[in-house]
This record gives sequence, structure tokens and C-alpha cells, in this order.
Amino acid sequence: MRITKGVTRGEPVSFTFNGVRYSGYAGESVAAALFASGMAHLRDSPRSHQPRGMFCLMGSCQECLVWVNGRKVPACQQPLVESLQVSSISTEAP
Amino acid sequence: MTSTLDVVNPADRPFDAAVIGAGVMGCSTAFHLAQGGMKVALIDRGQLCREASGVNAGTLTLHMTRAALVPYAMKAWEMWMTAEQWLGAGVLATHVPGLTLAFTEAECEMLEQRAAARREYGANINILTPQQALEAEPGLNPRLLKAAHCDIDGFATAYLTGRAFRQGLDAQQVALYENLPVEAVDRRNGVFRISCRGGRVLHARRIVLAGGVWIEPMLAWLGVRIPIKTLINQLSITERMRPVMRTVMSVANGLLSLKQFANGTILIGGGWQGIGDRERGGVEAIPENLIGNMRLARYVVPAMSEGRIARIWLGLEAETADAMPIIGDVPGVEDAYVVGSAHSGYTSGPFMGKIIAQYILGRQPEMPLFDPARLLSRHPGNEEA
Amino acid sequence: MDKMDKDVDLVVLGAGPAGVNAAITANRHGLKVVLVDQNHAAGGQVFRPMPETFTPSGGSAAPGEGDELRQRLARSQVRVYFNHTVWNVSTDLRVDAVGPDGPVHWRCRALVVASGTTERVVPFPGWTLPNVMGLAAATILLKSQKMLPGADTLVAGCGPLLTAVAAGIVDGGGRVAALVDAAPRSAWLKASPAMVSRPDLMWQGVKWLAQIKTAGIPIFSAHAIEKVEAVDGRLRATLAPVDSDRRIGGGERHAVHADAVVVGNGLVPGTDVTRLLRAEHTFNRKLGGWVAVTDEYCRTSVPGLYAAGDGCGISGAAAAIHHGELAGLAVAHDLGSLDEHSFEREAAAVQRRLSKARRFGQAMGALMALPSRQVETIAPDTVVCRCEDVTRAEIDAAVAGGARDMNQLKAWTRCGMGPCQGRSCGDVAAELAALKAGCGRSEVGFFTGRAPLRPVSLEQLTGDYDYADIPLPKAAPL
Repeated sequence: MRITKGVTRGEPVSFTFNGVRYSGYAGESVAAALFASGMAHLRDSPRSHQPRGMFCLMGSCQECLVWVNGRKVPACQQPLVESLQVSSISTEAP
Repeated sequence: MTSTLDVVNPADRPFDAAVIGAGVMGCSTAFHLAQGGMKVALIDRGQLCREASGVNAGTLTLHMTRAALVPYAMKAWEMWMTAEQWLGAGVLATHVPGLTLAFTEAECEMLEQRAAARREYGANINILTPQQALEAEPGLNPRLLKAAHCDIDGFATAYLTGRAFRQGLDAQQVALYENLPVEAVDRRNGVFRISCRGGRVLHARRIVLAGGVWIEPMLAWLGVRIPIKTLINQLSITERMRPVMRTVMSVANGLLSLKQFANGTILIGGGWQGIGDRERGGVEAIPENLIGNMRLARYVVPAMSEGRIARIWLGLEAETADAMPIIGDVPGVEDAYVVGSAHSGYTSGPFMGKIIAQYILGRQPEMPLFDPARLLSRHPGNEEA
Repeated sequence: MDKMDKDVDLVVLGAGPAGVNAAITANRHGLKVVLVDQNHAAGGQVFRPMPETFTPSGGSAAPGEGDELRQRLARSQVRVYFNHTVWNVSTDLRVDAVGPDGPVHWRCRALVVASGTTERVVPFPGWTLPNVMGLAAATILLKSQKMLPGADTLVAGCGPLLTAVAAGIVDGGGRVAALVDAAPRSAWLKASPAMVSRPDLMWQGVKWLAQIKTAGIPIFSAHAIEKVEAVDGRLRATLAPVDSDRRIGGGERHAVHADAVVVGNGLVPGTDVTRLLRAEHTFNRKLGGWVAVTDEYCRTSVPGLYAAGDGCGISGAAAAIHHGELAGLAVAHDLGSLDEHSFEREAAAVQRRLSKARRFGQAMGALMALPSRQVETIAPDTVVCRCEDVTRAEIDAAVAGGARDMNQLKAWTRCGMGPCQGRSCGDVAAELAALKAGCGRSEVGFFTGRAPLRPVSLEQLTGDYDYADIPLPKAAPL
């Protein structure tokens, strides 16, 4: 669902999410890149195990948390670089 | 929602007892007095269990309790673990072993000393080698030198304390007065007049001061001077983490408490000080002390580095001159009692309330009390004591 | 331990229009200024930049307001710390942050908080589903990530952002399944976003409305989303009529199918820092909720602490610019870099521009205010606290059981204890608590402000160290 009018994006990059390869553009947020690839369901809520995805897009709600390089970060605040490895918050790795 | 107030306190009949301060000590005192047949009022300037009792680390340990308080802590441990039965609601009290740890030679010495002192008072504490400690707690830093282990240990979720006691107090028909600061107390014709903000006056035949760090100004209402030091403890909690520990841990120097709740969050404590005082409460944390506390936590359990700190807060802890509680008669004032300032008071809280209630009800308390008179400062104001 | 940037007069938190202008203004009067923002560039939410790797293309000639803001900042001597997240501020004005190179802190003589707002969404069953996002969130997706929320998007809520987002979707080549406005049709024209920024942008608002009409987008006035369900890989929203208090009532339901739902019910001023520092706050519904009390020169009740921008009350981007300038002048004056006479003269000029901008901005803000009764019709099993899955029913039960303020409510339900630290749920939860307790918003209060201001990793905070590096205080008594 990328808009093409009026913008030139950076280099295309590939990255992985839970070991699965996705593509996006350098500088795009991980949340947006996954969203554009149809991966909107990022994790499950801890108590009721309901599916969750990005929500506020400004680093406040913490719904889009993912693991990047051993750290938990909001995916909406994490820019893509080539070969970035991202994994999801899960029951095993909350 | 109907209030118990109209039922229990018709206009001119004084309460049998008024407990001032609705933390765990005050709540337990009020609960047991009511259970013993008294008409009880419980008064707090805020909402119940919102001070130390609701914000402490919830550690139910013998390792860090004062040695002489070990028998009290053991009785209280039993009460926390069975709260659903006697109180009607629990605080998710969880029984796990407790480890206290040493990483330097000096800490090894402290560890042996503390263990020995507590064994004398009945705690079953045994010394472990690093290998044995790692078997009990695989996530430990292998640079551990020595550990002490106690089977009777565990933790509660402190912020559930208020809700749990609320149910029990309602069941015992204790008249709870929240958001009602007491301004003065005087005694006339065998009845205490408790003057509260907004002109409200409550009457009671007996009063119990259960105000934690505020016991010092409370005693001053009655003309008694006992200095009580206010510690400003910093605590922090992580977001949910994968299971990385299964015991309650402390370091032999007393500067770390670490536990992981069932929901995966990890609470870091240890008495590192922040900024605040009795008047303003806990104002703010000291960043260097936060970082020091977290460094200790991460050193002890390296997997802590995966965690994110979700919240940092402060709690006020009372400490008397000899670091022992004050539980008993208010010196020189008839029918006035005090319970509190126990340092690690949450651990022993419900039992302390029980024994002061036993005393007030005219029964033999299960364990000896802690005479406040021993702490009277040599101050002209105490002449009448 | 960590790095400290010495010799700082003023730290400004937030590089949106208010923060940038506060920083530039103070710097122009000779102060050494640090500006901190968690984003990679200035602009805040309203002028959010694209990623550094993106460039505008195809003939848009003049730089936008955001570009102009960023250029003015670059020309100044303000020291910027982007990609830094502030986690603590002490009353002695020590500011602690973490950034790409680890922890850093500053000690300053004055602090301007200009951290803007967060979005308010009134919960409904299904609001937590993936592909449901905020309205302000959608503007970020559109403007900054240059992405549509979906092929076919339902746009719902209230306020001036509705038309901006709908038009932005159409402009980007997407479809809007329907536009659902809680306000009645008579308030429709007032919702033009042009009124928020400047009257001279009125033509932009008219163009957006024309686009929406030309695209044949169904418009539901005085309606709201009753629920959203995931059906066959898409979303089905049920729309219901609302009354003048925006409560869902009886009447005909409409089902709308879409790939995405964007929904927003206004903005809430951010008070994380002012609550942390125990500044005095007041509840003002039209301004968006709790706001720090400030005098006419942005001073809060805490010495050395100033607040500017929408974080002080929803007043719009134009007002934020001038409010920031005013804060910068006040700091310069209070720190002795601007004499009384010059200060009064310059401040008076800024205040005139501020008043004018506020008239429109606050009128629009009022449209986004939460009517106190709107939360009445939130279904009991609806999640209110997203982080902890706390439902309305649980909140009501806690209040019924005796929890009388937000902190007791939090202790009894865990509402507000999750990673978002109460930002997503706090306003709505407080409205529900007040409703159940039968009292006003002031009585139930707000969550006590505590560090960290955002969750911060233990690894980042603690850095590299040995056991001997830990400054151990005195051991506990035996």
C-alpha cells in the first residue's frame, strides 16, 4: 500500500521477521514495512492472547514491540537497514 | 453503594477502637479487633494500603528480616500464604525458596553472620556452594562465591493488599473512613475525640496509631516523642520477561531484592535511597542509585539485560533507633496503642496487627510485644511518660 | 559512567513546532540550548519528516512548513540530540536520556517541555485488532511513511483530522470506505482542518472536502463505530447513531467492510514530564484534559520548568509556534539574558500572534474534546487498558469495590501498569472511573507521574561495568 506519487524512496532492502524474508526500503519503519507486506499481526496481548499490531505509530502505545538485536523496540520507531533481523514478541520471548 | 458508616456509628456511641492508619498493620489490627467483637473505625488520610503497604517489594523472606523478628515473620508468612482463608482474599502470595548471595569475601562473611543469627531465632537456613546455588537458580552469575538458602520464603503482590483487606474489613463490618486526615486527638472522660479535616469528629474508647513513618507526628498528638527515621526506598519493575529466575534473591549486603512474578515482570528492590520525606512523601529517584541498583540486579542475573524498566517508584519505610518495631501501649496514655515502624514491616505486618489486637482485647499475645517506652527520647516533652 | 554535555543553560524536550521555536528563540538571546527528540529529525507529529532516505519528487516546488522549521533549526546554534529518549528529569533539572551511543545526561538551569500530545481513542469491541489504528497515527503513516492504511479504509472519530486523513488517502490513490463523524452534519464545515493551522489554508480544506465529495465517499454524521470484527481476512465495522453526547443509541446499524479502520477521538495533552516533576495541574475538558498550570509566560509551578505547545492544551500548530517563542523569551529573561524592557516588548508581540492563532486552534480543539457521557455506552467486556487487557467491567467493579482515584484503580486492576504507562487508556479510564464513582474528573485525579518516561532497556541504562564499579551504599542492619 505504498504511495508512489510525490516521493522517491531509498534503496530497497531485505530483512527477516521470525526468519522469514521480507522486503522494504531503507529508512522505512519496520512496522510500516511489515504492514505493507500484509504482516499486520505482530504479537498477542499478554493476558487475553488477542492479536495486536501497530496502533499509534508514534512510539507511545508500545503495541508494535519487536525484538531487534536482542533489544525490545517499538517497530514504528525502528528504521530498516539491509539484513535487519527482527523477531516477534511471544510467550517464549515476551 | 451503601456505607457501613451509618450502621456501625450511630451519632453518640463511640467506637470501641479507632485505628488511625490503614496500611497492613492498621488493617490487620482493625480486622482482628472487629473479629474479637469490637466496633472498630479505621481512618486514613488517603485510601487504604496506598503507602508502604501497597508499594513495597512484597518480599516474604527471613533472610533480610531482622534476626529477632524471624519468629514473627514466620507466623506472618503463614498468614500471607493462607490469606484467602482468614481474610477472604489473597495477595497472590507465592511460596518459593529464598537465596541470599555473596560475591566478595566481605559478603561471604556477612552471609555467614546473617545466616547464623537467623538460625538462632528459628530460621532454617543452610549454606550452599556456588554449584548448589546454580542448581537451585541456574540463571545466577557463576562468579558467585557463596549462597544461603531458606525454604520458607516467597513474595506477595503488594499492590493487591488494599483490595484484599477491603473485602475482609467489610466482612467484619469495620467502619472505613478514607480520605479523612486526622488533625488532632484528645481525651475527655475516657473517650478519645479524633478531630478530622473538615470538622468531622469521631469518638472512640481506644485508639491505635498505625501510621508507619507518620507514627512520630501521631505520637506527638498525644504529647509523646519517639523519633522515627524515614527511609525513601527506590523500587523498579520490568515489563514481562521470559522466566529467568525461580527463587527470591537477595545479596548478603542487603542491597538487592529480586523476584519474578507469575506474569513475568521482575521487581528490583534493595533499599537504595531516593529523595523525599515524611511531609512530601517520595518525591523522586536518584538516577545514580537507580543505575547502581540495576547494575547489581543485572550482575546477579545476567539475563536481566533483556528487560526494559517499565516503572520506578518510591516507598517510605519507618526505622526506629534500634531498628525494631514499636508495638504496645503508648507510654503514659491510657487506652492508646501503637503498632508499626517495623523495618521490612510488610513481611510481618498481618501478624503484628494480630498480636496487638490480642493485647487490646485483653488476651495474651501469641508473641511478646515491643515496648515503645524503650525509645522515649530524653526530651522535656516526655516528662509525663 | 555516562556522558554529560556540560555547560547547558536550557534543555528543550520535544522538537515539534513549539520546542524548536523555544530552542531557537532562547538560543538567539545567547543561551546554550540542547534540544532532544526521540525522532531522527525535528517536526513533531504535525510536521513529521519522512525517513532520511526518502526524497520528495515530482514538482512540489516550495518547501513545506516542516522543512522550513528544520532549516531554521539547522541554521541556529542549538545542539540537537535526535534519536534520544529522555527517561528521567529530576527537580534539580538533571535530564537523563538514552541514545544510540548509550546513556547521556545534562544539567541545566531551565527546562522547556514541548512534548505534544497523544491520541485518544474511545474503545469499542474490536479496536485492538490488527489493521485498526489511530487517526493521528494514519496521518503519520500517510505523510511520513508515504503509505496507505489499506486498499479500502474506514475513517472514523471526530474532529478536523477526519477530512485530512480521508483526503490524504484519496490523494494517495486509496479508497475510503466511509467517513464516520460523531459530530452532527451542522458541525461538518467547522471540522475543516484549515481552521486548525491557518485561515490562509482555507483553500486546502475546501479542496479536501471537494475531493471527498467527488470520490463519492459515504459520510455518516452523528455516527460512531459500535464494533469491528475480523471477517474473511478483512474487517467489518458496525456503525451506529450517536446522540449529542456521542453516546451510541438505538437506531439503524450500518455494516461497512474495509481493509483497515482508522479511528480517533481527539488528542490528549502529554503530561508525563510535568506530572513527574509534580507541577500543579488542572483539568480542562476543552483543552483536552489534564494540563500543567502555566502563567502567561509558560512557567509551571515548578521553578525552572516551562511548558509550551499542545502539551499545555490543544491549540493547534500555529499557536504552538508562538507559544514556543514565548517560552524561549521567558527562559532568556528569567536566566538574565534578556532585559525586562526588551522582554516585555518582544513577548507582547508574540502574545498577540499567539492569541490570534489560539482562537482557531482552540475552537478546533474543543471539537475534539471528550464529552463526559460518551464513555457510558462502552460495552462492559471491551478492553480499555490495551497493555493489560483490563475491561470496562473490571474498572467498574474496582470502583464499586472502593477504588476512588486513578492510582487505587491502577493498584486494583493493573490498568496503567503496562508498557504504555497509561498513555493510551488513562483519559478514558478516568472518565469511566468518574462516571462509576459519581464524581468529577478532578476527584479521580490522574496516574502519579514516575520515571522512566518511556520504557528503557536495562542493558542501555547499565552499560558495561564490573562489580567493583557498583557504588554500594551502607549495608542493611542485621
